[in-house]
Amino acid sequence: MNKALLGRATFKTVAYFICIALVALSLFPFIIMIINATRSTPEIQQNAISLIPSTNFATNMDVLTGRMFDPLRGIFNSLVISTSATLLTVYFSTLTAFALVAYNWRMRQPFFTLIMVVMMIPAQVSSIGFFQFMFRIGWTNNFLPLIIPAVAAPMAVFFLRQYMLGALSMELLEAARIDGSSEIRIFNQIVIPIMKPAMATQAIFAFVASWNNLFIPSILLTRSDMMTLPIMVSLLRGDAYRVELGAVYLGLALAVLPLLITYFIFSKYIVAGVALGGVKG
Amino acid sequence: MNPKKKSFSYAKYGYLFSIPFIIVFLIFTFYPTIYTAVLGFTDSQGLGNINFNFLENPLDNFRVVLANQSFLNALWNTILIWVLNFIPQLGLALLLTAWFTSRRSKLRGVGLFKVVFYMPNIITAASVAILFSALFGHPIGPINSLLQMLGHDPYNFLNNPWASRLILIFIQFWMWYGYTMIILVAGALGISPDLYEAAEIDGATGVQSFFRITLPNLKMVMLFVLVTSLIGGLNVFDVPRLFNWGGPNAATTTVAVFIFNWAFTNRYMYGLAAAASMVLFVIVAVISAGIFFLLRDQDAARERKEQKRLRKLHKTNQNREVQKP
Amino acid sequence: MKKILCLCLAVLLLVGLVACGNGGDTDTTPAPDTGETTTETTPEPEPEPVEPTGDQQVLNVWSFTDEFYTMLNRFFELNPELAERYVVNYTEISTTDGAYQPALDMALAGGGADAPDIWLAESAFVLKYSQGEASHFAATYADLGIDVASAIAAADIAGYTVDIGTRPSDNQVVALGFQATGGAFIYRRSIAESVFGTDDPVAVASEIGPGWDRFWEAAETLGDAGYAIVSGDGDLWHPVRGASPRGWIDEDGYLYIDPSREAFLDMSMRLMENGWHNDTEDWSDSWFADFRGEGAREVFGFFGPAWLVNYVLGPNAGPTYGDWGVAVPPEGFFWGGTWVFANRDTPHTDVVRQIIEWVTLDATTTGLQYEWANGILLGTKDVVASGVVMDISDGRVDILDGQDMFDVFIPANDYARADNMTEFDESINLIWRDRVRQFTGGHMTRDEALESFRQAVADELFIFSR
Repeated sequence: MNKALLGRATFKTVAYFICIALVALSLFPFIIMIINATRSTPEIQQNAISLIPSTNFATNMDVLTGRMFDPLRGIFNSLVISTSATLLTVYFSTLTAFALVAYNWRMRQPFFTLIMVVMMIPAQVSSIGFFQFMFRIGWTNNFLPLIIPAVAAPMAVFFLRQYMLGALSMELLEAARIDGSSEIRIFNQIVIPIMKPAMATQAIFAFVASWNNLFIPSILLTRSDMMTLPIMVSLLRGDAYRVELGAVYLGLALAVLPLLITYFIFSKYIVAGVALGGVKG
Repeated sequence: MNPKKKSFSYAKYGYLFSIPFIIVFLIFTFYPTIYTAVLGFTDSQGLGNINFNFLENPLDNFRVVLANQSFLNALWNTILIWVLNFIPQLGLALLLTAWFTSRRSKLRGVGLFKVVFYMPNIITAASVAILFSALFGHPIGPINSLLQMLGHDPYNFLNNPWASRLILIFIQFWMWYGYTMIILVAGALGISPDLYEAAEIDGATGVQSFFRITLPNLKMVMLFVLVTSLIGGLNVFDVPRLFNWGGPNAATTTVAVFIFNWAFTNRYMYGLAAAASMVLFVIVAVISAGIFFLLRDQDAARERKEQKRLRKLHKTNQNREVQKP
Repeated sequence: MKKILCLCLAVLLLVGLVACGNGGDTDTTPAPDTGETTTETTPEPEPEPVEPTGDQQVLNVWSFTDEFYTMLNRFFELNPELAERYVVNYTEISTTDGAYQPALDMALAGGGADAPDIWLAESAFVLKYSQGEASHFAATYADLGIDVASAIAAADIAGYTVDIGTRPSDNQVVALGFQATGGAFIYRRSIAESVFGTDDPVAVASEIGPGWDRFWEAAETLGDAGYAIVSGDGDLWHPVRGASPRGWIDEDGYLYIDPSREAFLDMSMRLMENGWHNDTEDWSDSWFADFRGEGAREVFGFFGPAWLVNYVLGPNAGPTYGDWGVAVPPEGFFWGGTWVFANRDTPHTDVVRQIIEWVTLDATTTGLQYEWANGILLGTKDVVASGVVMDISDGRVDILDGQDMFDVFIPANDYARADNMTEFDESINLIWRDRVRQFTGGHMTRDEALESFRQAVADELFIFSR
């Protein structure tokens, strides 16, 4: 008994030690970011990493807001794009996963294989075709090319399908059908509530990916009133010899805040855990 | 709705509900991809040049790609970086999953830990890359200051190919273990508590129930983790490009970085870059197929079972409806 | 704990938003004077609404910094009648994430109403747009209606900037700059005083040059006194690259390693073995620390043009502010610079011509270059391309203890040459510098470094060795 207690104590010490070390590792970049937001460019250039805040917050804010773009506008644009893209991804991926799990149709397996194959295409180069296409149909300086493609998110479909295979019981669907519900009603009112935890996880991933996406938006959105916040922050880095690092970090901190808030809102599903319908053994 | 019609045409909903995905996919992914794939067989090159010819020998580009030492080196780097970061990443994620879902460990603050561990994944790749180059700055930088305090000379980590590669491996590990853990925890919490109760009654230890119950039941989620990590890992782009510009001695140049340089800088070699992407794609597809094959049993069996059950339900349903007045 | 975290973040965000709102309401608030540094930021005017009103026309301008935006605002201030007719849509994309060129290339290739009417290119990639892959998009200055040859002669524009902006296919000028970036050796006066017994720029120039033999003697003297002559080998690379008689590619398109560039391997090793530098990499934290004299050893000087004094040394000098001088370098070179291009398809030829003339060729005191050189526009003085403007400008600055930097930088422009550049330099230099560091770091032999360099250039750029 004593030995078991000792074992438990050792386990707990080790576990807490590791977890706390990982917490430090995880939070450290955020702390650096916030501290650097208060430091001047030369201070940062000479010591990029410091735990001592400085007094340049107001100056950095002036630099950030005194440019030819408006950070508030950037936050607004980013929110519009990321929120729409996330909603589309989550809803339509769940719907597609539902189609793959709940119905027995002839093209089901080929379609799933197709989704898997799509996932494997290297994005860097199919972007050649994507950009040329967008320029041809005049979808530059338009949010649509950043929002609409979110409807077809193979990775989200894959995850939701894997999850749904375990979580959704066919008996439940059957019962609803007997009650006379239409299929789309069953999906909206029965399937979605069951899938909420998995959808929340995918919502986080989709939102983060869309918010941090820099390469495609920076090529497609070139008008200053259309730019997303991360593009604006990258502008502050300008070219190597005219860079406002203090304002860059302030911008980075501002850019990450909406992400953190969204994350904390959805994170209750991560914290509470996922009460699945029970994966059978 | 007409019950009679409904009774035999559920399959159409499969098609119906997939339509949005399929349409958007065809326009925004399939078309650009096919366009790119076709380019792989052409001599397309040059900025703004939309004229290209199909090569006389359609596989010429592929031959050039596969004979290119730097491409092969980038491929080797990419696989190395993925394997070496994925193994510890999955290991740690599994360990944390075991701790956080175990009914016995009773750790406090599990909710906080779970939330915080994902946070490195939120920061943009550019910030992460700058942060780590600054950390390992030479001769002045936080890590080198630490070395000096311990009585060592400063070391130029960023000029050492293996050191740089290991730092990159660590960055990837650090950015993604939380993501993997979240997915695994989600999967593990879905396992029926009855199973654990039964195991406890049988006197199984925590370790035993993890290996006998948790792991086997995580197979489906693991399949997702493995395949998506493989795909993400072999396409990794932002961090390697910005962390040390692919150096030193191309030790951190990944395939995606290399392809990007071919396609979007200097000579704008779209044809070759497209062929190189196809090579990468085939490699990813083959490895993924292997993973699917290894983990297929349960998946396939479950599907078969599901289908059978569905058919059965379908049948009873039909019967019931026929019986309806 | 989580709730607290949430609350903190929410408050921070709120503070941020309020501050943003204030910034938008008040007019330009100048950055507070921090005392020891020069003004590093000039407040920008509020963004103009991009929507054209009435019969206004949109002018698309692309750049990688906001410098040109300041210039355009000044231009339209001086030409109110044009300001009524045109509205500028300014696209700024940074070069640091590597997105500027792909985005610009797409926009140029895409054409149409959103295509850039004017765009800017930096020396690292200017040749692509003036002579290489993307040169066919540019309008010649002559087509815009500028009498280029006589205007260049009248303003006495630095020759190398014209060479870079001349398209070989038709031998026409398609781009000119406003800056001139001939380089000098920027040194610490107090160190010169204690080691060489003088801080006079002419005397220091004869200690470190002319030619590299004198430079090494100085390096040894300084080394014995406990100083590093430069911060890292990258500082030495700029003059070596700039003075090299031939560029990376020979007339048949093969890779050519000029003996003077190959010698950089040995020069870099010499610095390393003797401990004559701090082994920093340019633009790293350690490199910046050396401006303050806070590195492992105090650094005697840096190679660089006038912009290095203004933008880099100025804000980073700290305690060494005012302790600097500029001397003629052992070999001439130039580093950096911005060139202005017009689109061959621009429908706004007239206004584009006027802007370009005002920026690149107007040598009067109301031209851009005069205001740029004398710190009227930005608050920092700089060397400009027009020799006429330089003659009537005053380059005395506090950071150099009142030395007139133009005395050194203007002749430096004459030693700058463009015939040793290629449009692939950005990539080739990156590979070369990497392999040189591999050699000096002991990870490769000299032969391995050369071989690996040749292989990488062949693989990545398809420029083969003979």
